[in-house]
Parts: sequence; structure tokens; C-alpha cells
Amino acid sequence: MKNNRIRNVLKGLSFTSAMFIFQACYGTPQDFGYDRLVEGQVTSETTGLPIKGIKVSVAGDNSYYVTTDDEGKFSFYSEKEENVLIGFEDIDGDENGAFRDLFKTVEDISESVYLEIALKDKL
Amino acid sequence: MISLKKYAFRQFKKLETRAHELNYLFWECTTRCNLNCIHCGSDCAKDSAFKDMPLDDFLKAIDTIEDKAPNFTVVFTGGEPLLRNDLEQCGKELRKRGFRWSMVSNGHLYNRERHYSLLNAGMGALTISLDGLEASHNWMRNNSTSFQKVVNAIELAASATRLNFDVVTCVNQKNINELRQIKDLLVSKNVKAWRLFTIIPIGRAANNPDLQLSDKQFVELMDFIAEQRKAKDIDVKFSCEGYVGKYESLVRDSSFFCRAGINIGSVLIDGSISACPNIDRSFSQGNIYTDNFYEVWQKKFQPFRNRSWTKTGQCKSCREYNDCQGNGFHNWHGNKQNVLVCHHQKIEQGSV
Ligand code: SF4
Ligand code: SF4
Repeated sequence: MKNNRIRNVLKGLSFTSAMFIFQACYGTPQDFGYDRLVEGQVTSETTGLPIKGIKVSVAGDNSYYVTTDDEGKFSFYSEKEENVLIGFEDIDGDENGAFRDLFKTVEDISESVYLEIALKDKL
Repeated sequence: MISLKKYAFRQFKKLETRAHELNYLFWECTTRCNLNCIHCGSDCAKDSAFKDMPLDDFLKAIDTIEDKAPNFTVVFTGGEPLLRNDLEQCGKELRKRGFRWSMVSNGHLYNRERHYSLLNAGMGALTISLDGLEASHNWMRNNSTSFQKVVNAIELAASATRLNFDVVTCVNQKNINELRQIKDLLVSKNVKAWRLFTIIPIGRAANNPDLQLSDKQFVELMDFIAEQRKAKDIDVKFSCEGYVGKYESLVRDSSFFCRAGINIGSVLIDGSISACPNIDRSFSQGNIYTDNFYEVWQKKFQPFRNRSWTKTGQCKSCREYNDCQGNGFHNWHGNKQNVLVCHHQKIEQGSV
């Protein structure tokens, strides 16, 4: 603790930039963690069973997406922003069942969120 | 009398050295490469004698780390890391364990699909090399399509706001006169940070005069960086590679401090434990296949943390020694009787 204080005083006196940033010549800049983990499971509201093959994406950006696995699970890292809208879309037609799309807003900006999503059957 | 600023920074370095908190770890995950750059200092080749290091071997080593520092970043390096198809899985496993990760790439295989899958796997920082305008970049990369590919990669990477992304350029005879145009190109591609470095005369670079800057050119480079830093349209800086005397406060955010073995460690392709991958391999401090990685980090690394052995050759009676301490560690190769490059001397000689 005491050492840290001294270190900060010295750092200040020597005008070393406030953030502890460095990079080796052949290295990258440091990662400051502007993303967060979004994970969860998608199930059928009717049967409670997991659904495979659902496209999970950040709405408005079609490029970032993953599809749910055999257990209906998904995980990916997305921008750490407030009110991110996550889309759950059935993109494989009748394969694995037919479900209605759902969009969910994630309000907080915590390091990770776990979403349990139940999709309704397509009428 | 030295200034308070200098004194404080020397003390700060001492404390940092004593604490030696590991927070930046290179992983030489492959030595395979898809290019054949004329300056390549590493021992990689297209058919590398080494197999890629299995992820599990690396994980076992870093699982020994106690008290992990905040923002601990694992830097994937090579070879060309994108040749590994399991990179995303490697990244996810690291994030699961609370490590952040980043990658150094030549950009050749960095396409849209890979860009998104790497971001999805939690990549937080990225460095791509651009070594000039089309002709000079392709010359250096020994490949006629490299420039176009790398520019595409740069565009993609710069579009992701969550990535701490920068471009590095190895300054040499062929591109020193193009720096302004390279900067304009990067600004037009929305790149926010650009790091310039020079090459140490080892490996293939040792016998190629086109790769080395004269003393005068080195001063030109310092002046260029100092001037561009005032413009603020892109964060231009000189790399950490060496002590640059009177230019110290003009070309970087903070004064020279080689953190190899102090905050920077590495796990190299054969399991060796060291610091930056460009450091002479004879400085290896142990091996993950025979030693406990974190124990080695904590208990060894003496030559990195006490640099008094560099007081030899021209550094022995140097007046700048206290601020330079024998320059960047990677400047000590072979018999280690003298520093390979003294940036300070280049500046003194190039300024007359
Ligand atoms: S002689 Fe050695 S200590 Fe002095 S400035 Fe050059 S590299 Fe640094
Ligand atoms: S060894 Fe070289 S690349 Fe590594 S931190 Fe020191 S100066 Fe930078």
C-alpha cells in the first residue's frame, strides 16, 4: 500500500502518463477492457428444451453474431455500452423448430451478463 | 544537478523493478509464417521446425500465476498467429481465466470473418505492421500483394472502437522519405495510433544496409516524430526500443524504461521463459516444461532486474548510464561485450 503511494507520487513527479501504458517494440498496446462477455441459453417457451441454431447478435450490427449450440448456449464478447439490444433470431427455418424472433435490451454495463431466453413458437 | 523529474523517474523505476509485477506476457504461439520478410529477426520459417505450442501447455504454465495483475495482457505473437486455427479458442480460454489478450499480426490473413470471430472471442488490442507505401512495404514483406491486404486489415481493425489498435512501422532506407504519406494514409483510414521503430542489426537484418538508418536519418526520424506529435491528428510515438537523450520527452508519452523482465515476460515456442521475443535466447530463465512458470518469474530474472552487468563496452563510462542503463535489453546479443545500438550516440553523431 505504502509502496503504491510512493510509486504514484514518483510517477506524478516524473510526469509519467497517468495510465500505466506501455508496449514492447514487437508487442501490442495494452488492452483496457472495452468489451464484456455476453452469454446465456436459449430455450423453447413451450417445451423448455434448448434450441440449437439461433442467431444471437448485437442489433444494428449484423457482423457480430454467434449461433447457439446443441445445449442452446451461446457466448461472445461485445462492446461494453449501456442499452445494447441483443437479437435472437431463428435463421434455419424449420430445422430445430420454428420460433419467433426476440430482442432484449441489456441495460447495465457489468463485466459479463448471463441471459436466459425463452422463445415462443412461430404461429 | 539532475532535475527533480529525472530523479523521480529513476526512483520510480527502482520501485517498479523491486515490485516486478508481471502484467504483459508474450506467447510465441507459433513460429510458422506466411511471409518471408527480409528483416525478420526471429528464427521462423515457412516450415518451422517447431510445432505450434498446444494451448493446454501454455494454460498449465499461466495457471501457476498467483495475484494476477489487473489488465494482465497475453500478447499472441509468432510467426504469424493467424495461422493458428484455434486462436479464438485460445483467446476464450484466457478470458475465462481473467486474462486479457491481444495479437501482433502481419495482417495478411486478417479478413472480415476473422476480425469478427476474434472480437467475439474477446480480443482487446491489436497491432498490425505496415512498412511503407506499396512498393516499399511489398519489398520489405517480399510479397507483391501484401500492401493491399494489410491496408484492408487496417481498415477493418480501425473500425472497431473496442480494440486498442495501433500500426507499427519499421523505419528503414526505403521508407524514411515516405513517412508523411504513410501518416496521411493512416489518418485517412481512421487509425488512432502509430508507433515507429528501427531495426536491430541481427538475423537477416545485419547484412542488409537498406534496413539501417544512418545517424543523420535517425535524427530526422526523431524530428519527424516530435513534429507530428504536436499535430495531434494521430498519436505518433517512437517505440520503447532505446534511450534517446534530448528527445526523450518529445517522442514518447513517458521516459525510456525497458520493462523486459520487470513487467514483461514471455513463453517462447520451445517453452523457454524469457521477456520480449527479440531478446537473445541465451537469456532464457527456465522452461515451462521443466519449471514452475511463476516461480521462475518471481525468483529468477536477475539479469533483467539488475542491469549493472551492462556497464561494459561503451556503456562502462557513459554519462547517460543512470537514465539509459545499457539501452533496451534486446540490444545485447552474442558475447554481450558491447551494446549493439546506442540510440543516444546516433543522435549525438547525427546532430553535428
Ligand atoms: S553508451 Fe550505453 S548507457 Fe550510454 S547512452 Fe549508449 S547505450 Fe546508453
Ligand atoms: S527489451 Fe526491447 S522491446 Fe523489450 S521492453 Fe526492452 S526495449 Fe522494449
